[in-house]
Amino acid sequence: MTDLFQRLMNMDKRWLYLLVGLAAVIPILLPLNLPVNVAQSVQDLYDRVESLPAGSIVLVSFDYGPSTGPENDPMADTFIRHCLARDLKVICIALYPLGGVTEGLEELRRAVGPIDPPNGVLESSSFPGKFYGKDFVYLGYKDGGQATMRQMGENVHTVFPQEYFQAPVTQYELSNQVQGYGDVTFVMSLATGIIGEWWANLVNAQYGTPVAVGCTAVSAPKYFAYYKAGQMFALLPGLKGAAEYEYLVEQQHPRIAEATAADVYNAGKGWDVQSIVYSIITLFIIIGNVGFLVERRQQLRR
Amino acid sequence: MFKKRLPLLLTFIAGMLPIFSFFFRAPALLEDDPTGNGVVQVSDTFEQWMVILAAGALLLGVVNVFQVNLKKISNRGKGWPYAVVFLTALIVTAVFGLWDAFARADITAWYAHAAYQWIVEAGFKPLQATMFSLLAFYVASAAFRAFRVRNVEAGILLAAALLIMLGVNPYVVRALPFLPDLTQWTLNIPNAAAQRGIIIGAALGAASMALRILIGIERSYLGLQKGE
Repeated sequence: MTDLFQRLMNMDKRWLYLLVGLAAVIPILLPLNLPVNVAQSVQDLYDRVESLPAGSIVLVSFDYGPSTGPENDPMADTFIRHCLARDLKVICIALYPLGGVTEGLEELRRAVGPIDPPNGVLESSSFPGKFYGKDFVYLGYKDGGQATMRQMGENVHTVFPQEYFQAPVTQYELSNQVQGYGDVTFVMSLATGIIGEWWANLVNAQYGTPVAVGCTAVSAPKYFAYYKAGQMFALLPGLKGAAEYEYLVEQQHPRIAEATAADVYNAGKGWDVQSIVYSIITLFIIIGNVGFLVERRQQLRR
Repeated sequence: MFKKRLPLLLTFIAGMLPIFSFFFRAPALLEDDPTGNGVVQVSDTFEQWMVILAAGALLLGVVNVFQVNLKKISNRGKGWPYAVVFLTALIVTAVFGLWDAFARADITAWYAHAAYQWIVEAGFKPLQATMFSLLAFYVASAAFRAFRVRNVEAGILLAAALLIMLGVNPYVVRALPFLPDLTQWTLNIPNAAAQRGIIIGAALGAASMALRILIGIERSYLGLQKGE
């Protein structure tokens, strides 16, 4: 037995890499559909979206880049789809410099279909009857972080004089209508790092605008402090939160479930991967510690 | 005078105005003049400047990156070939990014060039995703090799980590249905309490540093030594 632990402890780490690699690839190709337990912080977002009257405007901020895309992308897709299915209007911006702008347009297109406003393709193919500029719009990226957020509280049009495709914001009904935080029902920040925190301690604290955050798992422990203090009314903690939210939305909206199932990657598949990798890591931590304790006991005996 | 007092005075004014405007923005004070009073208007203008300055800071960053890497290349410092690759990538990306802006005399056209889009979509995005993906392998390896119960503190950390990881694991939760509640309690109560302490401590530190800068005690940002 002791010999077995010693062999495991001295195992070539490439075996571990191979195991993690297989655990990451196989569930994407062969989904396991592992169950999820919906946390209250996720349920709060779902309930808020379900309870809003049609026509309410939601501000979505793409505050992440490609590095955390596997966690944040499925949140963005499901959230935009959920809002449009509930006849809410979605105005999107990006505040993250490393790719926020590309993530924003990519995920919007994944959710609504291949829109191309400069060439007159305004109607969503996924949500027929929903149009760019009327039901959803993308204002693009703006540098400045907190200063930008603060300035948007005074006048959104001075911060974003043009939408992403360079048309004046006043050209479209939706972007023309939103001039400050008072015109949106709540802000949904899809965040990596600290930007979600700024929405809570700047926009929520100073303007009273409700804020929800979909964050990466590594940031989640910090964000729980804001959620429990009521500065965020909802929180999607990492891929787990994304999978729970996706599950809730799919139960109520079968059309979204079909769209999500057609995605090459979605939160459910990501959660399968993460669960298996977590299991492997947990198992190896336990093996490592048992081996360590056995070794220490032997040393003491000697 | 111009080296010390003027910058300090400007800092004081630029710092105090937003603080005053926050209180002057009270609805009661804006009743007669809904567009805002003088303090609020000046403060709003400062905020617009700040957005522009933030963009200027990016440029400053680029200049700094050039200085550091050119020096490394000229000295043949450690890893200098990487500096060559880095600067080449920076120049090529910037040229294509700014190409249309100059060609069309429209600075907002920065994202239109196909080559720039290709660099972002086919180069930058996959590379950034790859860098982050590698963490899964390193975390697994590091957790196996270094996460040991060497003392009480490490034991507490390990217990908390296992509780969180097991509490979200669908296989374990099926066998121990009470675990998610315990995990959620750990996140909501002890974790949130500790995080709040850290956040409040950091905020107080930031506020005291801001106050030191405003009243001119902290002057290192002007390049001045203590006592100057």
